[in-house]
Amino acid sequence: MSILHARQLSAGYGPVTVLHDIELVVEEGEIVVILGANGAGKTTTMRAVSGTIPRQGSVELNGHDITKLSPDAIVRQGVAQVPQGRGTFPELSVHDNLRAGAITRHDGSAAVAADMERWYGQFPRLAERKDQRAGSLSGGEQQMLAIARALMSRPKLLLCDEPSLGLAPLITQELFAVIERLNKEEGLSVLLVEQNANLAMHMASRVYLLETGRIVAEGSAEELSADDTIRKAYLGF
Amino acid sequence: MKTIATIKSGGTASWAIRLVTAAVVVYLMFWIPTSASNGMIDSCITALTLMAAAMSLNLLLGYTGLISIGHSAFFGIGAYTTGILVSRYGWSPFQTLAVAFVIAFVVGALVSLPALRIKGVYLALVTLALGLVFPQLVKAQKLEWLTGGARGLDKTGFRFTKDNPTYEIFGWNPWGSLRGENVKPFHYWIAMIIVIGVYLVCRGVVKSRAGRSMIAIRDNETAAAVMGVNLAITKALVFGLSAALCALPGSLSAIRTGNVTPDSTNITVQGAITFLIVMVVGGAGSLWGPIIGAGLFVFITELTGDWSDPDQIPGIIRPLFSWSNTPPGSGIFAILLIVLMFVAPFGIVGMWRRLVARFVTVTPRPAGTGTIESVVSAPAEA
Ligand SMILES: Nc1ncnc2c1ncn2[C@@H]1O[C@H](COP(=O)(O)OP(=O)(O)O)[C@@H](O)[C@H]1O
Ligand SMILES: [Mg+2]
Repeated sequence: MSILHARQLSAGYGPVTVLHDIELVVEEGEIVVILGANGAGKTTTMRAVSGTIPRQGSVELNGHDITKLSPDAIVRQGVAQVPQGRGTFPELSVHDNLRAGAITRHDGSAAVAADMERWYGQFPRLAERKDQRAGSLSGGEQQMLAIARALMSRPKLLLCDEPSLGLAPLITQELFAVIERLNKEEGLSVLLVEQNANLAMHMASRVYLLETGRIVAEGSAEELSADDTIRKAYLGF
Repeated sequence: MKTIATIKSGGTASWAIRLVTAAVVVYLMFWIPTSASNGMIDSCITALTLMAAAMSLNLLLGYTGLISIGHSAFFGIGAYTTGILVSRYGWSPFQTLAVAFVIAFVVGALVSLPALRIKGVYLALVTLALGLVFPQLVKAQKLEWLTGGARGLDKTGFRFTKDNPTYEIFGWNPWGSLRGENVKPFHYWIAMIIVIGVYLVCRGVVKSRAGRSMIAIRDNETAAAVMGVNLAITKALVFGLSAALCALPGSLSAIRTGNVTPDSTNITVQGAITFLIVMVVGGAGSLWGPIIGAGLFVFITELTGDWSDPDQIPGIIRPLFSWSNTPPGSGIFAILLIVLMFVAPFGIVGMWRRLVARFVTVTPRPAGTGTIESVVSAPAEA
C-alpha cells in the first residue's frame, strides 16, 4: 500500500482550475520529486494534497481516504507540509517555532521536548540559535527551521515545496543532504517540489514532470534523463 | 551596535529591574485609593476600565490579527447584563460578572462565524455593524421592559448602607468606606481586580499553546493551517474570549456609576474606536501596550478636560487649541496616533523597546511573543 495515492486530483482557485486529473503515488520510504517550470502547478499540487485549497478527486493516505478532511485533520493523520516561502513565524523564537509545530500533539511535553532535542541534533545550527527570533535567521536556517518544525508533528509523509528557493547552491546541497539523511535514517517519506532538475534528480526515487497542471512524464531519474526529448525539453541539460 | 550596558536575561540585573518595577506598581496601586483626590481616583477607574477593554481587543487584533470595530457591543453586553440582573432581579453585582462573561463569550463566538470566512476590511465592516446595532437594539421599544429603552437602567450598582462593615486594618483602610460616604476606593479596587484578572488571562493565553496558534494565524495563516492549527475553532474561541473579557469592564461601568444608558460613550461605536486607538497607540501585540495606551489617553483627556475655555489653556500652547470649543483631548490623541504611525508603528511599547535597545543589550535577544509587525505588513506568503 502506498503511503500517498492521489487519483484524478483536480484543484484550482475560485473558477480557475489549475490542476487537471493528476495521479500521484508516494511509496513508503521514497523521495518523490515533482519537477516543473514556474507556474506549472507544483505549489497547487502540494496545497491540494494538504487540503488547504478545495479539490476534486481522491487522496488516500495509507489506504485511508483523506479527501474530505480539513488541513489540521490531515496533519493529525501524519502529513506535514513545509509551505513555499518557508512560513516560519518571524516573531517567535526558534524554540517556540518548533513548539508551534507540535500543536497537534497530545502526548505530553516530555515527548515533545525529546523530539526537539532530536531535531536540534539533526540541525545543530538551530540548536545554537534556539532563543533567537526566527526572523533573524538566514534563509537556509529558516528553511531548516521550517523542516524541523514540520517534523515536530511526527509526520509519516513530508511535503516540501521548493526548499531551494532563494538559497545559494551550497546551502541547497546541504539542505538536500539533510532531507536524504532523514529519509534514510528516520524512514521519512518525502514528496518534494523543485524547479531546478539538477539539484533534486539525484536523490529522487521517482520523478514526476508537471506541465500546465498535467503530468507529462513519470519515472526514475535515470529513465527520465535517458530520454533525450524529455531531457532537452524539461530538464535543461 | 555597541551599547552602554549588557543585561543577561534571567540574570540578577534583569531581576532587579523587574523587582523595582513591581514595587513601584504596587506602591502606586495602594497610594492612589488612600492618598489621591477623589477626582484622581475617578480618572484612575476610567483608565482601568479602558485598560481592560483595550487588553481584550489586543487578544483579537494584536495577537490573532482579527480586527473588531464593534467591541463596544460586548462592553454594552456586560453593562446591560449587570444592570438588568441587579436592578430588575436584585442580584449582587459580583455574581453578575460571571453571567456577563458567559453571555458575551457566546455572542462573541457566534459573531466570529463570519470571521472564519471573511478578512480584513469586510470583517471590520461586520463588527462595525454589530457596534452600531447594539445601542439601537437596547433602545428598542419591544425590549423596554428589560433594558429600560432610551432612558436605560438605574440602581445598577452596590447599595451602601450604614450597617456595612468597614474592614479596617489597624485604622488603615485602603478600600474606602462601604457605608456610603467614600465609595470611590471600593470601585477602584473592583476595577483593579478586573484589570489584573484580564491581564493574567491574556498573559496565560498568549504564552500557552493556544497563544502560539494565535500568533501563527496572525503571522501566516496558511502556515498555521498546515501545521495543524484548527483555524475555525481557534478564531471562534479567541473571539469569544475577547468579547467575554470586554464585558467585564462593561459590568464594572454599571456597578460604578449605578446606571446604564444606551448613549454612554463606551457602549456606542465611539467606545469601540477608542479601545482600538488606545491599544494601537500603546502597542498592539504586547501585554503592556493597552495598559500604557489607556493610561495615556485618560491622562490627556483629563489634562485638557477644561480647555474648551481658552483661559484654562497654559499660556504658550493657547494659540494652538483656543479655536476649539470642545475639550481637545481626543483630537490630541488622534494626532498622536497619526504621528506614532509614522515614527513608531508598533506603538509606545515598540518605541520604548527600540529606545532601550540603543542603550542596553539584553542577551540572549528576547524573542518575546511578538509584535504586530506582520499585521501592519502583510505576511510574505507565496
Ligand atoms: N492563490 C492563487 N490564486 C489564484 N491563482 C493562483 C494562486 N496561486 C497560484 N495561482 C495560479 O496557479 C497556477 C499554478 O501556480 P503554482 O501552483 O503556484 O505554480 P508553481 O508552484 O509550479 O510555480 C499559476 O498560473 C498561478 O498564477
Ligand atoms: Mg510554487
